[in-house]
Amino acid sequence: MHSIVCEDVWMVYRSLFSEKVALSGIYLKIPSNRIYGILGPNGAGKTTLISLMATLLRQTKGRIEVLGYDTLRELKEIRKRINIASGNPNLIWSLTVYENLRYYSLLYGINDKKAVEELIREFELEEFRDVEFNRLSTGNKQKLILARAFVNDPELVFLDEPTKGLDPPVARRLREKIRSLQKELGITVVLTTHYMSEAEMLCDRIAFINRGKIVAEGTKEELKRMLKMRDKITIEIDANIPNLSIEGVFAVERDGNQLSFYVDSAEARIWDIAKEVARFGRIKNISVKEVDLEDVFNELAK
Amino acid sequence: MRMSSTNLRSEVYKILGFTYRNYIITKRNFFTLFETLFWPIIGLISVGLMGAYLSLEERYLAFILIGAVTLSILQVSQLDVAYVLLFDIWSKSLRYTFVTPVSIFHMIFGAWLFGSFRGLVAFLILALSGKYLFDLNLLIDPPSLLLFLLGIFLSAMIIGTLTCSLLLIFGYRAEVAAWTLTAIFMLLCGIYYPVTLLPAGIREIAYAIPLTHFLEFYRSFYGFSPSTSNPALLGYSLSFLFLILLFLILIWASERARKKGTVTQFSE
Repeated sequence: MHSIVCEDVWMVYRSLFSEKVALSGIYLKIPSNRIYGILGPNGAGKTTLISLMATLLRQTKGRIEVLGYDTLRELKEIRKRINIASGNPNLIWSLTVYENLRYYSLLYGINDKKAVEELIREFELEEFRDVEFNRLSTGNKQKLILARAFVNDPELVFLDEPTKGLDPPVARRLREKIRSLQKELGITVVLTTHYMSEAEMLCDRIAFINRGKIVAEGTKEELKRMLKMRDKITIEIDANIPNLSIEGVFAVERDGNQLSFYVDSAEARIWDIAKEVARFGRIKNISVKEVDLEDVFNELAK
Repeated sequence: MRMSSTNLRSEVYKILGFTYRNYIITKRNFFTLFETLFWPIIGLISVGLMGAYLSLEERYLAFILIGAVTLSILQVSQLDVAYVLLFDIWSKSLRYTFVTPVSIFHMIFGAWLFGSFRGLVAFLILALSGKYLFDLNLLIDPPSLLLFLLGIFLSAMIIGTLTCSLLLIFGYRAEVAAWTLTAIFMLLCGIYYPVTLLPAGIREIAYAIPLTHFLEFYRSFYGFSPSTSNPALLGYSLSFLFLILLFLILIWASERARKKGTVTQFSE
Protein backbone atom coordinates (compact mmCIF):
# COMPACT_ATOMS: atom_id res chain seq x y z
CA MET A 1 0.00 0.00 0.00
CA HIS A 2 1.45 3.36 -1.03
CA SER A 3 0.57 6.81 0.30
CA ILE A 4 2.23 8.60 -2.60
CA VAL A 5 2.95 7.56 -6.16
CA CYS A 6 4.94 9.83 -8.51
CA GLU A 7 5.16 8.97 -12.19
CA ASP A 8 7.49 10.83 -14.53
CA VAL A 9 7.14 14.08 -12.59
CA TRP A 10 8.79 17.19 -14.00
CA MET A 11 8.88 20.66 -12.53
CA VAL A 12 10.11 23.48 -14.70
CA TYR A 13 10.07 27.07 -13.43
CA ARG A 14 9.52 29.35 -16.38
CA SER A 15 9.86 33.11 -16.55
CA LEU A 16 9.91 35.41 -19.55
CA PHE A 17 13.58 34.96 -20.31
CA SER A 18 14.63 31.82 -18.50
CA GLU A 19 13.73 28.28 -17.68
CA LYS A 20 14.95 26.22 -14.74
CA VAL A 21 14.40 22.49 -14.52
CA ALA A 22 13.96 21.75 -10.80
CA LEU A 23 12.85 18.11 -11.11
CA SER A 24 13.12 15.75 -14.05
CA GLY A 25 11.46 12.39 -14.51
CA ILE A 26 10.79 11.51 -10.88
CA TYR A 27 9.38 8.05 -10.23
CA LEU A 28 8.71 7.32 -6.57
CA LYS A 29 6.46 5.14 -4.44
CA ILE A 30 6.19 6.08 -0.79
CA PRO A 31 4.83 3.29 1.42
CA SER A 32 2.07 3.96 3.94
CA ASN A 33 2.52 4.11 7.72
CA ARG A 34 6.27 4.66 7.52
CA ILE A 35 8.70 7.54 7.86
CA TYR A 36 10.15 8.20 4.44
CA GLY A 37 13.20 10.42 4.04
CA ILE A 38 14.07 12.58 1.07
CA LEU A 39 17.74 13.53 1.25
CA GLY A 40 19.93 15.57 -1.00
CA PRO A 41 22.33 18.51 -1.13
CA ASN A 42 21.15 22.15 -1.15
CA GLY A 43 19.18 23.00 -4.27
CA ALA A 44 18.75 19.32 -5.22
CA GLY A 45 14.94 19.69 -5.43
CA LYS A 46 13.83 18.26 -2.06
CA THR A 47 11.55 21.16 -1.11
CA THR A 48 10.15 21.36 -4.64
CA LEU A 49 9.29 17.65 -4.53
CA ILE A 50 7.68 17.86 -1.10
CA SER A 51 5.75 21.00 -2.14
CA LEU A 52 4.41 19.20 -5.22
CA MET A 53 3.25 16.26 -3.12
CA ALA A 54 1.67 18.67 -0.62
CA THR A 55 -0.22 20.39 -3.51
CA LEU A 56 1.52 23.73 -2.96
CA LEU A 57 3.00 23.51 -6.44
CA ARG A 58 1.62 22.17 -9.70
CA GLN A 59 3.89 19.92 -11.72
CA THR A 60 4.77 20.80 -15.32
CA LYS A 61 4.41 17.17 -16.40
CA GLY A 62 3.65 13.78 -14.91
CA ARG A 63 1.24 12.37 -12.35
CA ILE A 64 1.24 12.48 -8.56
CA GLU A 65 -1.23 10.47 -6.55
CA VAL A 66 -1.51 11.24 -2.85
CA LEU A 67 -3.60 8.88 -0.70
CA GLY A 68 -5.24 7.67 -3.88
CA TYR A 69 -6.18 11.16 -5.11
CA ASP A 70 -4.74 13.02 -8.07
CA THR A 71 -2.94 16.28 -7.17
CA LEU A 72 -4.22 18.03 -10.28
CA ARG A 73 -7.88 17.15 -10.00
CA GLU A 74 -8.63 16.28 -6.38
CA LEU A 75 -6.88 18.99 -4.38
CA LYS A 76 -9.56 19.37 -1.75
CA GLU A 77 -9.70 15.66 -0.92
CA ILE A 78 -5.92 15.57 -0.51
CA ARG A 79 -5.70 18.75 1.55
CA LYS A 80 -8.28 17.47 4.05
CA ARG A 81 -6.03 14.49 4.79
CA ILE A 82 -2.51 15.93 4.79
CA ASN A 83 -0.54 18.58 6.64
CA ILE A 84 2.91 20.11 6.55
CA ALA A 85 5.52 21.54 8.93
CA SER A 86 8.60 23.39 7.82
CA GLY A 87 11.91 24.13 9.49
CA ASN A 88 11.37 27.85 8.88
CA PRO A 89 9.10 28.52 11.85
CA ASN A 90 6.74 31.16 10.51
CA LEU A 91 3.17 31.70 11.63
CA ILE A 92 1.08 34.83 12.13
CA TRP A 93 3.20 36.82 14.61
CA SER A 94 0.52 38.36 16.75
CA LEU A 95 -1.56 35.23 17.34
CA THR A 96 -0.88 33.24 20.50
CA VAL A 97 -0.17 29.50 20.58
CA TYR A 98 -3.84 28.79 21.29
CA GLU A 99 -5.13 31.25 18.66
CA ASN A 100 -2.83 29.91 15.96
CA LEU A 101 -3.97 26.33 16.56
CA ARG A 102 -7.62 27.36 16.78
CA TYR A 103 -7.36 29.41 13.59
CA TYR A 104 -5.82 26.56 11.61
CA SER A 105 -8.27 23.98 12.93
CA LEU A 106 -11.13 26.25 11.77
CA LEU A 107 -9.55 26.29 8.30
CA TYR A 108 -9.97 22.50 8.29
CA GLY A 109 -13.65 22.99 9.16
CA ILE A 110 -13.09 21.83 12.75
CA ASN A 111 -14.51 23.80 15.66
CA ASP A 112 -13.17 21.87 18.63
CA LYS A 113 -11.62 23.96 21.41
CA LYS A 114 -10.96 20.84 23.51
CA ALA A 115 -8.89 19.24 20.77
CA VAL A 116 -6.81 22.42 20.53
CA GLU A 117 -6.14 22.32 24.28
CA GLU A 118 -5.17 18.63 24.00
CA LEU A 119 -2.74 19.42 21.24
CA ILE A 120 -1.17 22.14 23.41
CA ARG A 121 -0.73 19.58 26.19
CA GLU A 122 0.57 16.90 23.83
CA PHE A 123 3.33 19.22 22.61
CA GLU A 124 4.10 20.56 26.10
CA LEU A 125 3.13 24.12 25.24
CA GLU A 126 0.74 24.75 28.18
CA GLU A 127 3.08 27.30 29.73
CA PHE A 128 3.08 29.28 26.47
CA ARG A 129 -0.61 28.89 25.62
CA ASP A 130 -1.25 32.64 25.66
CA VAL A 131 2.12 33.78 24.36
CA GLU A 132 2.20 35.43 20.95
CA PHE A 133 4.13 33.55 18.27
CA ASN A 134 6.83 36.21 17.86
CA ARG A 135 7.64 36.02 21.59
CA LEU A 136 8.27 32.27 21.60
CA SER A 137 11.77 30.74 21.57
CA THR A 138 12.86 29.05 18.32
CA GLY A 139 12.36 25.64 19.91
CA ASN A 140 8.82 26.44 21.02
CA LYS A 141 8.01 28.01 17.64
CA GLN A 142 9.09 24.74 16.04
CA LYS A 143 7.00 22.74 18.50
CA LEU A 144 3.99 24.89 17.60
CA ILE A 145 4.64 24.43 13.88
CA LEU A 146 4.70 20.68 14.48
CA ALA A 147 1.56 20.82 16.66
CA ARG A 148 -0.16 22.79 13.89
CA ALA A 149 0.55 19.90 11.50
CA PHE A 150 -1.70 17.66 13.62
CA VAL A 151 -4.78 19.91 13.95
CA ASN A 152 -6.68 17.91 11.32
CA ASP A 153 -5.67 14.37 12.39
CA PRO A 154 -3.81 13.92 9.11
CA GLU A 155 -3.08 10.59 7.46
CA LEU A 156 0.06 12.00 5.90
CA VAL A 157 2.43 14.66 7.24
CA PHE A 158 5.21 16.38 5.33
CA LEU A 159 8.11 17.59 7.46
CA ASP A 160 10.48 19.87 5.60
CA GLU A 161 13.70 20.00 7.64
CA PRO A 162 11.75 20.07 10.90
CA THR A 163 14.74 20.45 13.25
CA LYS A 164 16.68 23.03 11.23
CA GLY A 165 18.56 25.46 13.45
CA LEU A 166 17.51 23.87 16.74
CA ASP A 167 19.82 23.14 19.68
CA PRO A 168 20.81 19.45 19.72
CA PRO A 169 18.76 18.56 22.86
CA VAL A 170 15.64 20.30 21.50
CA ALA A 171 16.15 18.66 18.10
CA ARG A 172 16.52 15.27 19.76
CA ARG A 173 13.28 15.70 21.72
CA LEU A 174 11.43 16.74 18.57
CA ARG A 175 12.75 13.69 16.70
CA GLU A 176 11.57 11.45 19.50
CA LYS A 177 8.19 13.17 19.34
CA ILE A 178 7.96 12.64 15.58
CA ARG A 179 8.85 8.96 15.96
CA SER A 180 6.38 8.36 18.80
CA LEU A 181 3.53 10.23 17.05
CA GLN A 182 4.09 8.30 13.85
CA LYS A 183 3.97 4.99 15.71
CA GLU A 184 1.02 5.96 17.89
CA LEU A 185 -1.12 7.34 15.06
CA GLY A 186 0.07 4.98 12.34
CA ILE A 187 0.46 7.83 9.86
CA THR A 188 2.84 8.30 6.96
CA VAL A 189 5.57 10.91 7.41
CA VAL A 190 7.60 12.28 4.52
CA LEU A 191 10.67 14.04 5.81
CA THR A 192 13.42 16.08 4.22
CA THR A 193 16.55 16.72 6.22
CA HIS A 194 20.15 17.80 6.04
CA TYR A 195 21.04 15.88 9.17
CA MET A 196 22.11 12.35 8.34
CA SER A 197 21.80 11.33 11.98
CA GLU A 198 18.15 12.44 11.85
CA ALA A 199 17.51 10.35 8.74
CA GLU A 200 19.41 7.43 10.28
CA MET A 201 17.29 7.66 13.45
CA LEU A 202 13.88 8.27 11.88
CA CYS A 203 13.58 7.02 8.32
CA ASP A 204 12.41 3.56 7.33
CA ARG A 205 13.19 4.22 3.68
CA ILE A 206 15.15 6.95 1.94
CA ALA A 207 15.29 8.52 -1.49
CA PHE A 208 18.41 10.46 -2.47
CA ILE A 209 17.80 13.33 -4.81
CA ASN A 210 20.50 15.20 -6.68
CA ARG A 211 20.18 17.81 -9.44
CA GLY A 212 16.43 17.16 -9.69
CA LYS A 213 16.70 13.38 -10.10
CA ILE A 214 16.29 10.45 -7.73
CA VAL A 215 19.72 8.84 -7.68
CA ALA A 216 19.03 6.05 -5.18
CA GLU A 217 16.13 4.70 -3.15
CA GLY A 218 15.71 2.04 -0.50
CA THR A 219 16.23 1.19 3.16
CA LYS A 220 19.48 2.31 4.81
CA GLU A 221 20.91 -1.16 4.38
CA GLU A 222 19.81 -1.42 0.77
CA LEU A 223 21.43 1.90 -0.03
CA LYS A 224 24.73 0.86 1.50
CA ARG A 225 24.59 -2.44 -0.37
CA MET A 226 23.67 -0.67 -3.56
CA LEU A 227 26.90 1.30 -3.36
CA LYS A 228 28.75 -1.83 -2.25
CA MET A 229 30.13 0.24 0.61
CA ARG A 230 29.99 -1.51 3.92
CA ASP A 231 33.05 -0.39 5.85
CA LYS A 232 35.23 2.65 6.12
CA ILE A 233 38.94 2.22 6.98
CA THR A 234 40.61 5.43 8.13
CA ILE A 235 44.41 5.57 8.24
CA GLU A 236 46.53 8.43 9.56
CA ILE A 237 50.14 8.56 8.32
CA ASP A 238 53.07 10.92 8.93
CA ALA A 239 53.78 11.59 5.25
CA ASN A 240 52.12 12.73 2.04
CA ILE A 241 50.70 9.90 -0.02
CA PRO A 242 50.11 10.01 -3.78
CA ASN A 243 46.81 8.82 -5.26
CA LEU A 244 46.48 5.10 -4.72
CA SER A 245 44.63 2.45 -6.65
CA ILE A 246 43.95 -0.57 -4.49
CA GLU A 247 41.76 -3.52 -5.41
CA GLY A 248 38.42 -3.64 -3.61
CA VAL A 249 38.41 0.07 -2.69
CA PHE A 250 35.36 1.93 -4.05
CA ALA A 251 36.26 5.43 -2.97
CA VAL A 252 39.01 7.30 -1.13
CA GLU A 253 38.57 10.48 0.85
CA ARG A 254 41.57 12.59 1.80
CA ASP A 255 41.81 14.99 4.73
CA GLY A 256 45.43 16.13 5.04
CA ASN A 257 47.46 13.07 5.96
CA GLN A 258 44.36 11.11 6.86
CA LEU A 259 42.86 8.80 4.25
CA SER A 260 39.48 7.06 4.35
CA PHE A 261 38.97 3.97 2.20
CA TYR A 262 35.44 2.74 1.44
CA VAL A 263 35.40 -1.02 0.98
CA ASP A 264 33.02 -3.96 0.75
CA SER A 265 34.63 -5.74 3.70
CA ALA A 266 37.24 -4.30 6.12
CA GLU A 267 38.23 -7.78 7.23
CA ALA A 268 39.19 -8.80 3.71
CA ARG A 269 40.89 -5.55 2.65
CA ILE A 270 42.56 -4.00 5.67
CA TRP A 271 45.96 -5.74 5.36
CA ASP A 272 46.37 -4.99 1.66
CA ILE A 273 45.50 -1.35 2.23
CA ALA A 274 47.75 -1.00 5.27
CA LYS A 275 50.67 -2.61 3.41
CA GLU A 276 50.25 -0.27 0.44
CA VAL A 277 49.98 2.85 2.62
CA ALA A 278 52.96 1.83 4.78
CA ARG A 279 55.17 2.06 1.71
CA PHE A 280 54.95 5.87 1.94
CA GLY A 281 55.41 6.48 5.66
CA ARG A 282 54.76 5.42 9.22
CA ILE A 283 51.12 4.63 10.06
CA LYS A 284 50.04 6.55 13.18
CA ASN A 285 46.52 5.31 13.54
CA ILE A 286 44.03 2.93 11.90
CA SER A 287 40.33 2.78 12.59
CA VAL A 288 37.47 0.81 11.07
CA LYS A 289 33.82 1.67 11.18
CA GLU A 290 30.66 0.66 9.41
CA VAL A 291 29.63 3.07 6.66
CA ASP A 292 26.85 5.41 7.79
CA LEU A 293 24.24 7.35 5.90
CA GLU A 294 26.46 10.42 5.76
CA ASP A 295 29.06 8.44 3.81
CA VAL A 296 26.39 7.20 1.41
CA PHE A 297 25.08 10.73 1.06
CA ASN A 298 28.56 12.13 0.32
CA GLU A 299 29.11 9.49 -2.32
CA LEU A 300 25.72 10.07 -3.97
CA ALA A 301 26.00 13.85 -3.86
CA LYS A 302 29.21 13.75 -5.95
CA MET B 1 -25.62 16.83 -4.76
CA ARG B 2 -27.05 18.36 -1.59
CA MET B 3 -24.67 19.51 1.08
CA SER B 4 -25.12 17.76 4.42
CA SER B 5 -25.46 19.91 7.54
CA THR B 6 -22.04 18.71 8.76
CA ASN B 7 -20.48 19.77 5.47
CA LEU B 8 -22.26 23.10 5.59
CA ARG B 9 -21.06 23.68 9.17
CA SER B 10 -17.53 22.80 8.12
CA GLU B 11 -17.70 25.33 5.26
CA VAL B 12 -18.98 28.00 7.67
CA TYR B 13 -16.08 27.30 10.07
CA LYS B 14 -13.60 27.70 7.24
CA ILE B 15 -15.04 31.14 6.48
CA LEU B 16 -15.15 32.08 10.16
CA GLY B 17 -11.49 31.04 10.51
CA PHE B 18 -10.48 34.11 8.50
CA THR B 19 -12.97 36.32 10.34
CA TYR B 20 -11.48 35.09 13.62
CA ARG B 21 -7.91 35.75 12.51
CA ASN B 22 -8.65 39.29 11.30
CA TYR B 23 -10.53 40.00 14.53
CA ILE B 24 -7.59 38.89 16.71
CA ILE B 25 -5.05 40.84 14.67
CA THR B 26 -7.20 43.98 14.76
CA LYS B 27 -7.80 43.63 18.48
CA ARG B 28 -4.08 43.34 19.14
CA ASN B 29 -2.78 45.86 16.65
CA PHE B 30 -2.85 49.54 17.51
CA PHE B 31 -2.27 50.43 13.86
CA THR B 32 -5.51 48.79 12.72
CA LEU B 33 -7.45 50.67 15.42
CA PHE B 34 -5.93 53.81 13.95
CA GLU B 35 -7.19 52.80 10.53
CA THR B 36 -10.72 52.38 11.87
CA LEU B 37 -10.93 55.53 13.96
CA PHE B 38 -8.19 58.09 13.50
CA TRP B 39 -7.94 58.62 9.75
CA PRO B 40 -11.72 58.53 9.10
CA ILE B 41 -12.34 61.20 11.75
CA ILE B 42 -9.45 63.35 10.50
CA GLY B 43 -10.89 63.05 6.98
CA LEU B 44 -14.37 64.05 8.08
CA ILE B 45 -13.22 67.03 10.17
CA SER B 46 -10.82 68.42 7.57
CA VAL B 47 -13.32 68.19 4.70
CA GLY B 48 -16.12 69.52 6.90
CA LEU B 49 -14.03 72.52 7.98
CA MET B 50 -13.07 73.23 4.39
CA GLY B 51 -16.78 73.27 3.53
CA ALA B 52 -17.45 75.65 6.40
CA TYR B 53 -14.63 77.95 5.27
CA LEU B 54 -16.05 78.03 1.76
CA SER B 55 -19.52 78.73 3.24
CA LEU B 56 -21.05 75.86 1.30
CA GLU B 57 -24.80 75.40 1.25
CA GLU B 58 -25.99 72.57 3.48
CA ARG B 59 -26.66 70.19 0.56
CA TYR B 60 -23.21 70.80 -0.98
CA LEU B 61 -21.58 70.25 2.38
CA ALA B 62 -23.52 66.96 2.56
CA PHE B 63 -22.27 66.11 -0.96
CA ILE B 64 -18.59 66.38 -0.08
CA LEU B 65 -18.94 64.89 3.41
CA ILE B 66 -20.62 61.82 1.88
CA GLY B 67 -17.52 61.51 -0.31
CA ALA B 68 -15.24 61.72 2.74
CA VAL B 69 -17.31 59.21 4.72
CA THR B 70 -17.52 56.76 1.81
CA LEU B 71 -13.77 56.96 1.20
CA SER B 72 -13.14 56.11 4.86
CA ILE B 73 -15.50 53.17 5.19
CA LEU B 74 -14.48 51.77 1.82
CA GLN B 75 -10.81 51.93 2.78
CA VAL B 76 -11.37 50.40 6.24
CA SER B 77 -13.41 47.48 4.95
CA GLN B 78 -11.35 46.71 1.83
CA LEU B 79 -8.14 46.57 3.86
CA ASP B 80 -9.39 43.49 5.69
CA VAL B 81 -9.93 41.70 2.39
CA ALA B 82 -6.57 42.82 0.96
CA TYR B 83 -4.82 41.85 4.20
CA VAL B 84 -6.15 38.28 4.03
CA LEU B 85 -3.18 37.37 1.83
CA LEU B 86 -0.85 40.09 3.07
CA PHE B 87 -0.93 38.87 6.70
CA ASP B 88 0.32 35.49 5.46
CA ILE B 89 2.83 37.02 3.08
CA TRP B 90 4.29 39.32 5.72
CA SER B 91 4.61 36.50 8.24
CA LYS B 92 5.86 34.07 5.54
CA SER B 93 3.18 31.57 6.47
CA LEU B 94 1.30 31.43 3.16
CA ARG B 95 2.08 27.72 2.65
CA TYR B 96 0.23 26.86 5.86
CA THR B 97 -2.93 28.53 4.60
CA PHE B 98 -2.67 27.12 1.09
CA VAL B 99 -2.13 23.56 2.31
CA THR B 100 -5.53 23.58 4.08
CA PRO B 101 -8.73 22.67 2.21
CA VAL B 102 -9.93 26.29 2.06
CA SER B 103 -10.71 27.96 -1.23
CA ILE B 104 -10.10 31.52 -2.21
CA PHE B 105 -13.83 32.19 -1.55
CA HIS B 106 -13.52 31.17 2.11
CA MET B 107 -10.59 33.55 2.48
CA ILE B 108 -12.21 36.53 0.79
CA PHE B 109 -15.65 36.04 2.33
CA GLY B 110 -14.34 35.45 5.88
CA ALA B 111 -12.13 38.53 5.77
CA TRP B 112 -14.89 40.56 4.14
CA LEU B 113 -17.30 39.78 6.99
CA PHE B 114 -14.93 41.32 9.50
CA GLY B 115 -14.06 44.18 7.13
CA SER B 116 -17.75 44.99 6.80
CA PHE B 117 -18.08 45.00 10.57
CA ARG B 118 -15.13 47.39 10.85
CA GLY B 119 -16.63 49.53 8.08
CA LEU B 120 -19.96 49.63 9.90
CA VAL B 121 -18.26 50.75 13.13
CA ALA B 122 -16.38 53.45 11.21
CA PHE B 123 -19.62 54.60 9.57
CA LEU B 124 -21.50 54.85 12.88
CA ILE B 125 -18.67 56.86 14.43
CA LEU B 126 -18.56 59.16 11.40
CA ALA B 127 -22.35 59.52 11.37
CA LEU B 128 -22.28 60.59 15.04
CA SER B 129 -19.33 62.92 14.46
CA GLY B 130 -21.01 64.40 11.37
CA LYS B 131 -24.18 65.12 13.34
CA TYR B 132 -22.33 66.58 16.30
CA LEU B 133 -19.73 68.63 14.40
CA PHE B 134 -21.54 69.73 11.24
CA ASP B 135 -25.21 69.08 11.98
CA LEU B 136 -25.30 66.62 9.09
CA ASN B 137 -27.68 63.68 9.33
CA LEU B 138 -26.13 60.72 7.53
CA LEU B 139 -28.77 58.30 8.79
CA ILE B 140 -31.28 58.13 5.95
CA ASP B 141 -34.17 55.65 6.17
CA PRO B 142 -32.82 52.27 7.38
CA PRO B 143 -33.53 50.08 4.28
CA SER B 144 -31.91 52.62 1.95
CA LEU B 145 -28.98 53.09 4.32
CA LEU B 146 -28.52 49.33 4.46
CA LEU B 147 -28.66 49.16 0.67
CA PHE B 148 -25.98 51.85 0.42
CA LEU B 149 -23.69 50.33 3.05
CA LEU B 150 -23.96 46.83 1.57
CA GLY B 151 -23.10 48.32 -1.82
CA ILE B 152 -20.00 49.98 -0.37
CA PHE B 153 -18.98 46.75 1.34
CA LEU B 154 -19.35 44.90 -1.97
CA SER B 155 -17.13 47.55 -3.56
CA ALA B 156 -14.64 46.87 -0.75
CA MET B 157 -14.75 43.17 -1.67
CA ILE B 158 -14.08 44.10 -5.31
CA ILE B 159 -11.05 46.23 -4.44
CA GLY B 160 -9.69 43.71 -1.91
CA THR B 161 -10.11 40.81 -4.35
CA LEU B 162 -8.35 42.81 -7.05
CA THR B 163 -5.45 43.45 -4.64
CA CYS B 164 -5.22 39.72 -3.80
CA SER B 165 -5.12 38.83 -7.50
CA LEU B 166 -2.39 41.40 -8.15
CA LEU B 167 -0.38 40.03 -5.22
CA LEU B 168 -0.51 36.48 -6.58
CA ILE B 169 0.39 37.66 -10.07
CA PHE B 170 3.06 40.29 -9.36
CA GLY B 171 4.26 39.34 -5.89
CA TYR B 172 5.44 41.77 -3.20
CA ARG B 173 5.51 44.71 -5.64
CA ALA B 174 1.70 44.67 -5.69
CA GLU B 175 1.22 45.22 -1.96
CA VAL B 176 1.04 48.95 -2.59
CA ALA B 177 -2.37 48.27 -4.20
CA ALA B 178 -3.82 47.68 -0.72
CA TRP B 179 -3.43 51.36 0.11
CA THR B 180 -3.78 53.02 -3.30
CA LEU B 181 -6.62 51.31 -5.16
CA THR B 182 -9.35 52.84 -2.99
CA ALA B 183 -8.07 56.35 -3.69
CA ILE B 184 -7.97 55.65 -7.45
CA PHE B 185 -11.50 54.23 -7.39
CA MET B 186 -12.79 57.18 -5.38
CA LEU B 187 -11.09 59.63 -7.74
CA LEU B 188 -12.86 57.99 -10.67
CA CYS B 189 -16.22 57.65 -8.96
CA GLY B 190 -16.72 61.26 -7.85
CA ILE B 191 -15.38 61.58 -4.33
CA TYR B 192 -16.07 65.33 -3.95
CA TYR B 193 -17.65 66.11 -7.33
CA PRO B 194 -20.20 64.67 -9.80
CA VAL B 195 -18.68 62.35 -12.42
CA THR B 196 -20.12 64.55 -15.16
CA LEU B 197 -17.11 66.79 -14.49
CA LEU B 198 -14.73 64.08 -15.63
CA PRO B 199 -13.39 64.20 -19.21
CA ALA B 200 -15.11 61.98 -21.79
CA GLY B 201 -13.65 58.50 -21.84
CA ILE B 202 -12.84 58.61 -18.13
CA ARG B 203 -16.47 59.46 -17.40
CA GLU B 204 -17.57 56.26 -19.18
CA ILE B 205 -15.12 54.26 -17.09
CA ALA B 206 -16.59 55.89 -13.97
CA TYR B 207 -20.09 54.80 -14.97
CA ALA B 208 -18.90 51.23 -15.39
CA ILE B 209 -17.77 51.14 -11.75
CA PRO B 210 -20.49 50.20 -9.23
CA LEU B 211 -19.18 52.62 -6.59
CA THR B 212 -20.23 55.58 -8.77
CA HIS B 213 -23.84 54.44 -8.65
CA PHE B 214 -23.84 53.75 -4.90
CA LEU B 215 -22.55 57.29 -4.30
CA GLU B 216 -25.24 58.72 -6.60
CA PHE B 217 -27.86 56.61 -4.79
CA TYR B 218 -26.84 57.98 -1.38
CA ARG B 219 -26.52 61.54 -2.59
CA SER B 220 -30.00 61.34 -4.14
CA PHE B 221 -31.37 61.54 -0.56
CA TYR B 222 -29.73 64.97 -0.25
CA GLY B 223 -31.32 66.44 -3.40
CA PHE B 224 -28.85 65.39 -6.12
CA SER B 225 -30.37 63.65 -9.14
CA PRO B 226 -28.63 60.42 -10.13
CA SER B 227 -27.63 59.85 -13.75
CA THR B 228 -29.73 56.68 -13.97
CA SER B 229 -33.26 55.92 -12.81
CA ASN B 230 -32.24 53.14 -10.43
CA PRO B 231 -28.61 53.64 -9.33
CA ALA B 232 -28.77 51.03 -6.54
CA LEU B 233 -29.96 48.28 -8.91
CA LEU B 234 -27.30 49.22 -11.47
CA GLY B 235 -24.66 49.33 -8.72
CA TYR B 236 -25.56 45.86 -7.51
CA SER B 237 -25.72 44.39 -11.02
CA LEU B 238 -22.29 45.79 -11.84
CA SER B 239 -20.93 44.61 -8.48
CA PHE B 240 -21.95 41.02 -9.14
CA LEU B 241 -20.49 41.18 -12.64
CA PHE B 242 -17.20 42.54 -11.28
CA LEU B 243 -17.09 39.93 -8.53
CA ILE B 244 -17.68 37.02 -10.90
CA LEU B 245 -14.95 38.32 -13.19
CA LEU B 246 -12.54 38.97 -10.31
CA PHE B 247 -13.12 35.57 -8.72
CA LEU B 248 -12.34 33.95 -12.07
CA ILE B 249 -9.14 36.00 -12.25
CA LEU B 250 -8.29 35.06 -8.66
CA ILE B 251 -8.79 31.34 -9.36
CA TRP B 252 -6.53 31.65 -12.40
CA ALA B 253 -3.96 33.64 -10.36
CA SER B 254 -3.95 30.96 -7.62
CA GLU B 255 -3.32 28.18 -10.15
CA ARG B 256 -0.63 30.29 -11.79
CA ALA B 257 0.97 30.81 -8.37
CA ARG B 258 1.09 27.00 -7.92
CA LYS B 259 2.74 26.61 -11.33
CA LYS B 260 5.23 29.43 -10.80
CA GLY B 261 6.07 28.55 -7.22
CA THR B 262 4.86 31.90 -5.85
CA VAL B 263 3.23 30.27 -2.81
CA THR B 264 6.47 28.63 -1.71
CA GLN B 265 8.49 31.76 -2.51
CA PHE B 266 6.19 33.81 -0.27
CA SER B 267 6.89 31.31 2.54
CA GLU B 268 10.70 31.53 2.47
